[in-house]
Amino acid sequence: MNRRCLLALALLLIVAAQASAAPGDGIPGDADGDRVLTPAEYTAAALTYLDAAYMGGAGELTRTDIQDAAWISACWDGRPREVTDSSGRTVTLYRPLRRVVTFNGEALETLRSLGFDMEKVVAVDKYSKEKSTFFPECREKANVGSIWSPDMEKVLAVRPDAVFLYATISTAACDDIQRKLEASSPGIRVFRFDCFKPATYPREIRTIASMAGKSERGDEFASFYTSTMDRVRDGTAGVPADERVRVYFEYWFDYKTVAAGSGYNEKLELAGGMNPFAGETAEYPIIDPEAVIVTDPEVVVKLAGQGLAFGGYAGHDIAALEGIRTALAQRPGWTSIAAVEDNRIYVIHSDILGGAQHFIGTAYLAKWFYPDRFADLDPHAIHQRYLTGFQGIDFDLASEGTFVYP
Amino acid sequence: MMSLPANHLLCIALLLMVVPAAACASPVTRSLSTAEPGAGEVFTVSLSIEGMTLGGVVETLPAGYAFVATDLADDRVLARGQQVAFAVMNDSRITYQVRAPASGSGDITGRWEDFLGESDGQVAASHVAADGIEAPVESGGGDPVPPPSQETGSPFAVLAAVAALLLASGRGGRR
Repeated sequence: MNRRCLLALALLLIVAAQASAAPGDGIPGDADGDRVLTPAEYTAAALTYLDAAYMGGAGELTRTDIQDAAWISACWDGRPREVTDSSGRTVTLYRPLRRVVTFNGEALETLRSLGFDMEKVVAVDKYSKEKSTFFPECREKANVGSIWSPDMEKVLAVRPDAVFLYATISTAACDDIQRKLEASSPGIRVFRFDCFKPATYPREIRTIASMAGKSERGDEFASFYTSTMDRVRDGTAGVPADERVRVYFEYWFDYKTVAAGSGYNEKLELAGGMNPFAGETAEYPIIDPEAVIVTDPEVVVKLAGQGLAFGGYAGHDIAALEGIRTALAQRPGWTSIAAVEDNRIYVIHSDILGGAQHFIGTAYLAKWFYPDRFADLDPHAIHQRYLTGFQGIDFDLASEGTFVYP
Repeated sequence: MMSLPANHLLCIALLLMVVPAAACASPVTRSLSTAEPGAGEVFTVSLSIEGMTLGGVVETLPAGYAFVATDLADDRVLARGQQVAFAVMNDSRITYQVRAPASGSGDITGRWEDFLGESDGQVAASHVAADGIEAPVESGGGDPVPPPSQETGSPFAVLAAVAALLLASGRGGRR
């Protein structure tokens, strides 16, 4: 056998041997197999491990086994953890998450909010990897592409024990990835979460926290999140339907707006806005420019972001957002609409309205729509607390990034 | 400018899998009631533990010195020859008693593992000498088993090292 063959064989053995180390169907150290690791069983397992590792004794528990046993004893009270994800599927966990792949950038962000050890995230989607300012720790992680164009070979090469996919968007693409993963790696654990929807995010926070052994932190973060969203809901609850502020919300592209069913419309309405185009058939309809003038919006909100690439975490570019706003005000026929007359045109970046940070953007919307009702609401402070207290990144909003204008 | 050939880089990367993790600041320190016990005297060894919720400590006594007892529950201790293992569970202090031999000196050594923190290291050695007299040990039995390598590094690291060597030798042969 020549050297090349030997090399190939050795590398194959490495991959095969490591791939076989997938999470099993039992808790390590559970001597009687009753699916509960009692303190006595854990102690016996710890001594058996130490004996084998340092004292010449016999025992089959590996270092990872005893570390997992300790973790389950400390974080899950010695019991397997049943998790129901946002697709409604229940998965039983017998081991902690050690090698995580995320196709869902919002789930990645949520894991970081919960204080999950980011070293245990072994690969991320391409969009998260591109956000090197916001996810600096992902620069060196493997790139598994996107849900629409997944690099399945790369996913399998990093030997994940858990993969995060979206629950309710692009379901066909995510279902396909899940099928392939479960067919090729039977022990793999696939979780479906959205992490960007107001209706489901608090529950998702607590579920992911429970999986990650961070329940206390999950409660803290969920409380922080819901305190902002509840403040917005409570503040607009008393506004009669016919007195709601008329808002024209424009997507990245000119005259492309949002309608019922879209996430942006949900946040707009949560903030007390009335979207005159909510009844359009498509979720993101393109409308006649004249229709905007006819509806005479009291507030105009323009979205910046991927399709209008200014601001966000990547750049401190206030002038660019100001330019977007000025151009809107100068559109033909717009001088007569209320929003322009009253100088109520705003630009907001999708970084704080479209994903896991939607609560920050929603707070801005509420403040813009009802400045008197939300005089004490400080979205900027909420944003900074989120970054410093939950995301744990060194990012000073006073001098970095641009998210809203004015 | 010097550049490393690809095979050298691969070797370095693979060898890094074999090298144990850098030692951390030890959460375990040891103190003795006396470092010069009288012949046959029982003395106390105290282990101070900081920041370790679930883990383990393995102490290795010099030849001739014998483990006597500990304040921990029996099911959290295992003695084998010159070695004693303790299962640490939120303990800030563990004490145990050792009987000194008629004569002899040596080091009490130890290793710790923090299972939750996923770290490990050595407890600094403590020297003991019966009656304060330095004397060679009369028999062996105190050699600790080498610490385990990281699990993911153990069998795989050997294979990886073999692969690296094969690759390196193959590339070298063509030069």
